[in-house]
Amino acid sequence: MDQTPLILGDKTPGDVTNDISRLLEGRPTALWWMAFLAALSLLGLGAVAVTYQIATGIGVWGLNNTVGWAFDITNFVFWIGIGHAGTLISAVLFLFRQRWRTSVNRAAEAMTIFAVMCAGLFPLIHMGRPWFAYWMFPYPNGRGPLWVNFRSPLVWDFFAIATYFSISLAFWYLGMVPDLAAVRDRAKGIWKKRIMGFVSLGWNGSYRTWMRYETLYLLLAGLATPLVISVHTIVSWDFATSVIPGWHTTIFPPYFVAGAVFSGMAMVLTLMLIARKTMHLEDYITKTHVGAMTKLILLTGSIVGLSYATEFFVAAYSGNEFEQFVFLNRAMGPFAWAYWTMVACNVITPQLFWIRRVRENFVFVFILTLFVNVGMWFERYVLIVTSLHRDYLPASWAGYSPSLVELATLLGSFGLFFTLFLIFIRFVPVIAMAEVKGVLSIGRRRKNAA
Amino acid sequence: MSEPRPTNPPEVIDDGLLDSAYTSLSRRRFLQAAGFTFVGAMVYGCARAPEEELLPLLEQPEGMVPGRADYYATTCGGCAAGCGILAKSRDGRPIKLEGNPEHPISKGGLCAVGQASLLGLYDSHRYRAPVRDGEESDWARVDAEIREHLDRFARSGAKVRYLSAVVNSPTKQRAIDDFLSRFRDARHVMYDPARGTAILDAYEETHGARVVPHIHLDRARIIVGFDADFLGTWISPVEFTRDYTAARRADRDGTTFSRHLQFESTLSITGAKADQRYRVAPSSRVAVLSQLAAAVARKAGRPYRRSENATDSLPQGLIEEVADELWVHRGESVVLCGADDLTAQLICNFINDALGNYGRTLDLDRPSFQVQGSEAQLEEVLGEIAAGKVDLLIVDGVNPLLDLPGKGAGAAELAKIRLIISFAQRPDESSALAHYICPDHHYLESWSDTEMVQGVVGFTQPLIRPLGDTRQVVETLAAWSGKERSARAQLQERWGTGRQWEQRLHNGFVKKSAASFRVGGFRTAPVFAARAEKFSRGDGFELVLYTKAGMPNAGHAFNPWLHELPDPITKAVWDNYARLSPAAAERIGLSQGDVVSISLPTGESVELPVLVQAGQHDNVVAVAMGYGAEASRRFESMGPSWIEKKPTVGDNGLVGVSATPLVVRGSSGRRFSGTQVRLHATGRKSELALTQDYQSIDVPAHLAPASGARRPNIQESTVAALAVSESSHSAPHHKGDLWPEDHEYTGHHWGMTIDLTACTGCGGCVVACQVENNVPVVGKDEVRRNREMHWIRIDRYFSGSGDDLTVAHQPMMCHQCDNAPCETVCPVLATVHSEEGLNEQIYNRCVGTRYCMNNCPYKVRRFNWFEYSRDDAYENLTLNPDVTVRSRGVMEKCSFCAQRIHEAKAEARRGGRPLADGDIRTACQQSCPAQAIVFGDMNDAQSEVAASISSRRHYRVLEEINVKPSVGYLQLVRNREDGEGRDHHDG
Repeated sequence: MDQTPLILGDKTPGDVTNDISRLLEGRPTALWWMAFLAALSLLGLGAVAVTYQIATGIGVWGLNNTVGWAFDITNFVFWIGIGHAGTLISAVLFLFRQRWRTSVNRAAEAMTIFAVMCAGLFPLIHMGRPWFAYWMFPYPNGRGPLWVNFRSPLVWDFFAIATYFSISLAFWYLGMVPDLAAVRDRAKGIWKKRIMGFVSLGWNGSYRTWMRYETLYLLLAGLATPLVISVHTIVSWDFATSVIPGWHTTIFPPYFVAGAVFSGMAMVLTLMLIARKTMHLEDYITKTHVGAMTKLILLTGSIVGLSYATEFFVAAYSGNEFEQFVFLNRAMGPFAWAYWTMVACNVITPQLFWIRRVRENFVFVFILTLFVNVGMWFERYVLIVTSLHRDYLPASWAGYSPSLVELATLLGSFGLFFTLFLIFIRFVPVIAMAEVKGVLSIGRRRKNAA
Repeated sequence: MSEPRPTNPPEVIDDGLLDSAYTSLSRRRFLQAAGFTFVGAMVYGCARAPEEELLPLLEQPEGMVPGRADYYATTCGGCAAGCGILAKSRDGRPIKLEGNPEHPISKGGLCAVGQASLLGLYDSHRYRAPVRDGEESDWARVDAEIREHLDRFARSGAKVRYLSAVVNSPTKQRAIDDFLSRFRDARHVMYDPARGTAILDAYEETHGARVVPHIHLDRARIIVGFDADFLGTWISPVEFTRDYTAARRADRDGTTFSRHLQFESTLSITGAKADQRYRVAPSSRVAVLSQLAAAVARKAGRPYRRSENATDSLPQGLIEEVADELWVHRGESVVLCGADDLTAQLICNFINDALGNYGRTLDLDRPSFQVQGSEAQLEEVLGEIAAGKVDLLIVDGVNPLLDLPGKGAGAAELAKIRLIISFAQRPDESSALAHYICPDHHYLESWSDTEMVQGVVGFTQPLIRPLGDTRQVVETLAAWSGKERSARAQLQERWGTGRQWEQRLHNGFVKKSAASFRVGGFRTAPVFAARAEKFSRGDGFELVLYTKAGMPNAGHAFNPWLHELPDPITKAVWDNYARLSPAAAERIGLSQGDVVSISLPTGESVELPVLVQAGQHDNVVAVAMGYGAEASRRFESMGPSWIEKKPTVGDNGLVGVSATPLVVRGSSGRRFSGTQVRLHATGRKSELALTQDYQSIDVPAHLAPASGARRPNIQESTVAALAVSESSHSAPHHKGDLWPEDHEYTGHHWGMTIDLTACTGCGGCVVACQVENNVPVVGKDEVRRNREMHWIRIDRYFSGSGDDLTVAHQPMMCHQCDNAPCETVCPVLATVHSEEGLNEQIYNRCVGTRYCMNNCPYKVRRFNWFEYSRDDAYENLTLNPDVTVRSRGVMEKCSFCAQRIHEAKAEARRGGRPLADGDIRTACQQSCPAQAIVFGDMNDAQSEVAASISSRRHYRVLEEINVKPSVGYLQLVRNREDGEGRDHHDG
C-alpha cells in the first residue's frame, strides 16, 4: 500500500524535535515582531472601543429599537464557529484515526481556545450593564428566590460555552505535556527549565506515563466530541427558539454545526498556510494536509449551501407570509448586498475545491479560505440583521449600520485573537511533536527496504 | 464638555426660589408640603382653600396622607380652546394633567399640547423676576418707573397699543379694558400667530357678528371639510374629536354612523380620518366650494349668483353627489372651511345656511370665543408701528418679531417705539427688545376664567405658589391702573364668593344660563359680492402654511416633549420641513432630506428639507409654522453625547426654520395658503428624524409573497359590510396548546382594547404616557437612529395613493402577552408574568441583553442606550414619584400603568369595597379625546373591556403566532362603499 508520506524530508524523530523546538529558542524574527505589533495595535484599538462603550453606553453602537443585536452577536457566533474546527480536528479526527491531523491539531486547538475567548467577550460586553454579568450564573444568593431563567437560551449558551472552553483548554494542555517536556529537556536557562518542568507535570517519558497519557487523551477526545455538535446547536437555539421570522427555524442546529466546521476549517487553513510559509514548516504541512482540509471545506460548504436552499424552500412551502417575506427581503431587500456576498463566498467559493489544481495551489487555497471567513461572518450578519430589521409590523421596520466603535470592536477581537496566537507560536511547540513522530515515514521505509 | 445655559442655571434651585417645590426633602419640608396640599383638600375634594397667600402649614392636618395625590379642576392654558383639566398634585406640586370628564366642552379629553403644557411651569429658562433694560430688577422699582411712564403717556395722549394672543377670559378682558381706558388713543389687538380671522370677517358680513358658531359635530350626519383640520389643530380639536367620534360609533346601529368627506391640499389628521378625501389646491378651493354652493342652492331653490371654474379635476359628478348627500341630511349636516380666505368662508356660510344648519349643527346663539381678533386691526397697528407712531407697545403672550412678517414687525421698527413692555414668561425674540419685562405666571400658578363658548366658563386656579417672582398680568395691569387687586379678588368680583364660588372652583367650570348671543339673519349679498382672490397657477407651487397638532405656535418651542412627539401624519420629530407629494418631488428631482429653497416672487425665501408626503396635492408645498424660535436654542446640546452624535438643532442653532417670511400680508390680512412660490434645490442634505421609516401597510411590491403584499395587522371594514355580516372577521382557529396553561388568572386579568375607528392618531396618549411614566426625551439624533423612548408608538399606515390614499393609525404599546416571548428569553428573569396578566419589567434585575426586545413581535420594548440626561432640576419636578427613573443599560416598556393599578387597588381596599370597573384608567386612556382606549379586567364579564372584546370588530394583532396578547383592536370602519377607494381588508 503506497501512500504519499505525511511528513516530507525523511525526518527522524530527532529532526522533528529540532525543527519545532528551534522555533521557540531563537530570537523572534522581524516578521513576527511586525505581526505582533500590528495585532497588539488592533487589540489596543478594541480595548479603547470597549472601554468607551462600557463607560458611555450601548448607544455608541449602531443598534436601535428594532435591531437589538448586530455586530455583537454576529461576532460572537462567528468566533464560536471558528473554534469548532479545532475540536473537530483534535477530537473527532483523532477518534477516526485520521493521521494527517497530527500536523495541524496543536495550532487548531490553540485557535479554538483563542476563538472561544474572543467569542466569550461579546456576550459580556453586549450587555447593557456588563458589571452584572455574573447574574447569569446560578449561584446561591441573598436575593430570595431569585435565580436564572433556565428557559432562556442565553443561559444554555452560558453553560455551553463555559463547558466548551474548559474541555478544550484541558484537552489542549494535556496534548501539550509531552512536548513541553521535550522543550524542558532542551532548555538552557534555569528559569525556562523550571517553568517548563512545572507545566510538563514531571513527564518522564516512561511507558506507564505514555499509557496513562494515551488513555486520558482518548477519554478527553470522547468528551470533546459531542461538544462539536452541542455547542453550536445551543448557539443556534438563541435564534431557533425565538418567534422572529428568519430565526424561528428547525434547520438551524445542523446548519449551524456545518457552518461552524466550514468556517473553522477555513480559519485553520488560513493560519496554517501563514505559519507554513513564515516558520518554514513546508515539510510538516503538505499537500496531503491541505488537500484533506479543503475536502472538508468542500463538504461542509456544500451542506451550508444546501441549507440556504432548504430555508428558502421551507419558507415557500410553509405558506407563512412573514417567513416568505423575510427570505425575499434577504435576497432582494436593503441588505441584498450582504446576502449575495454571503452566497458568493460560502456557496460558490468552496465549489472550486472540486478542482485538484486549485486544491494544490496554496496561494489559491489561501485566498479562497479568506473568502470563506468573510462569507461566514456575513452569514451571521445576514441572519441576525435582516431577520430583525423587518419583522412583523411594517411600522417598526428600521435600518442598521455599524458605528465606528462597533467596527473597532470587531477589529479588536481580531487583534486579541492574533496577539494570543502569535504569543502561542513563540512559547509553545506549534506542531504536536510527539504525535507527528508517530506518523513519520522512517519506519515504513525500513519495512519497504527489508 | 461645556453646556451653555443662557439663563437660570438649575443651581439656583438652592436659593430658596423653589421653596414650595421641595427639592431637598427634610422632614420639616415634607410636612410643609403635606400641609400645603391639604389647604385645598380641606374645602371639598378637589377645591382650593380661600387663603389669599398660600402659606404652608406647619402641622400635618388630620386626613392628609403624604404621598397621596390630590386632583384640582382647572383650565388648560395650552391654547384658546380652554379644555377642562384635573391637575394631579403630589406633595404640593402638579405633576400630571388629566382631562376633566365632567367638563362640558372637552368632556375628559386633553391633547398632546395640553399634556405637555405642564413642562412650561417647570421651565428653568423662565424669567424669575421682572427685567428692566436687560437687568433683573424688582417689582417695586419696575412698577414705579412704569407708572411714571404711563402717567406721562396718559397726559400726552400717546398711542398705546396692547398686542396679545386670543383673550377669552372675561376678567382679563376687563382688566385690559380698564387699564387702556386711561389713555385717549389706546387699542387692544389680538392675533393668532398661525391663523387669520377670515372666518370672523365672514360671519360679520353674513350674520353681523364677529363670532364663530359653536360647532356640534355629534349632531351632524354628514361633515364636509375644506382645509379644516378640526380633529387636529382647528379651533377646538379635543371637543371636536370627542363629538366626531360620538357620532361614529360603529357598534351601534350602522345608520347612526356619520359620513365625512374632506377636501384638502395637504394631508391632515382630519383628512386621514375622512371616509373620502379629495385633493384640492388652494387655488381651486373657492371654485369647488362655489360649485357645491350652486348645487345645494338649486336643491334649496335659492338663487346663487357666482360661477367659478375649478382647475383641479375632481371625479365627474362628485360635487352633485356631495350636494345630494348634504341635502338629504339638511339640518344634520355641516360644511366647515378652515382656510383663511374670506370668499371661501362666505360661500361656506351660504351652503350651511341653505342646508338649514344654523341653529342645529352650527350654534350661533351660543357661539364660540375660541377665535378672536381682527386681521384688519392688526394691519393698522403694524402700519402705525412702521410709521413710528406708536409710543407704548404692550406685548402679552405673543411674539410679534417672530410671528409677523413684513413691515411693522421688524426689529428696527420695533426699536423706534418709545416704550415696550412685555409680559413674556420666558425670553423670546420680542422680549429681547422690550424695555421692561414683567413676566406673567404660568397658568398653573394663576387665577383666571375662560369663556370658551358663550355660557360656559372654565376656571383656572393655582396649583402651586409661583416658582419665581412673577406676577399675573391682571394683577400687573391693576397695579398700574392704581387699583391694586389680586387676581383672585378680581375673579371673585365676577363669580361671587362663599359656597357657590367654592363649588364652581371645585367643578372647574360653570354653565351660565345667560341670555343667548344676538346675531342677525343671514345676508346673502356679501357672498355674491366677494371677489375670489386671484390665483395665478404658474409653473411654481402653491404654498400652504399649516400648524402641527404638536406645535400650535412658536410659544411652545421651548417644550421638548412636543418637539419629540412624532407628528401624527409625517412621524417626523424636532423639525419642520417642506412637504411635497411623491409626484411633485419626482418632478423637480428631489428626494427626502434634500434641502430646498422656497422663495416668494418678492425675494423672501426659506430653506427647508423636503419631506415626501403621500396624499398631498401635486402642486402644493406645505410648511409648518411655529418653528425656528429662539426659545429652541436651548436644545443645542440636547441628547446623549458621544463621538457620533449629531445635533438636535439645525445649522441656525434652532429647531426648524421660521416660515414667517413666507407669510404674505395683504389688505385682508395675512395669507397662509395659495401663495405662489418657487422651489430651488440647494444641493445640500439635512436628514430628517422619523419614528417610522416604512410608511405603507403593504410590503414593497418586489418583496411581496404570493399571498399578497398587505400585512394583516390593520383590519378595516365599512359600515355597509358590518351591517350585513354578523361577524366580519374570523378568529384564527386555535387548535389548542401542547403546553398546559402557564397562568391561571384567577383574579384580575388586565386587558385593553383600542378602537381604530375612533383613534385619530393625535398623539395625546403619547405625551400623557411620557409624563406619567417619566419617559426621557432623547433628541433628534437618537430618533433618527430609531431609538425613541416613547412607550406608545402610534403606527401610521398608508395604502393607496393620491385621492385614494387611506390612512390607518394604530397605537402600539406592550401587549402584555399571556405567552410572552420576552419572558422566556430573559436569562435573569428580569421580565416576568404577574398573576394578573401583566408582563412586568424589573429594572434593577435587567442586565440588558436586549434579547427580549429582539423577540418582541410588536417591537415595543425600549432600551436605555445611554444615561439620558436628568440634569435640569426644575424639569425633574415633573417626575412621577410612583414610577422608577430608569438608568442606562436596562430595558423598559409600557406597564399598563402598573402604578395606577396598584393605587386603585389600594384605594379600594382602604374603602373596603371591591375594585370597580373604571377605577383604573391608564394615562393614555384617561385623556384620549376620542375615547378610543378601554382598559379593564377581562375576567369581569360586566366590564367595559369585556364588552369591547366581544365586539364583532374585535381582533388581535399577530394572533396567529399565539403569543396571546392582552391588547386588542376594534376594526377601522369607514363609511364608504366597498368600491370607493381601495378594497377593504377584513383579515
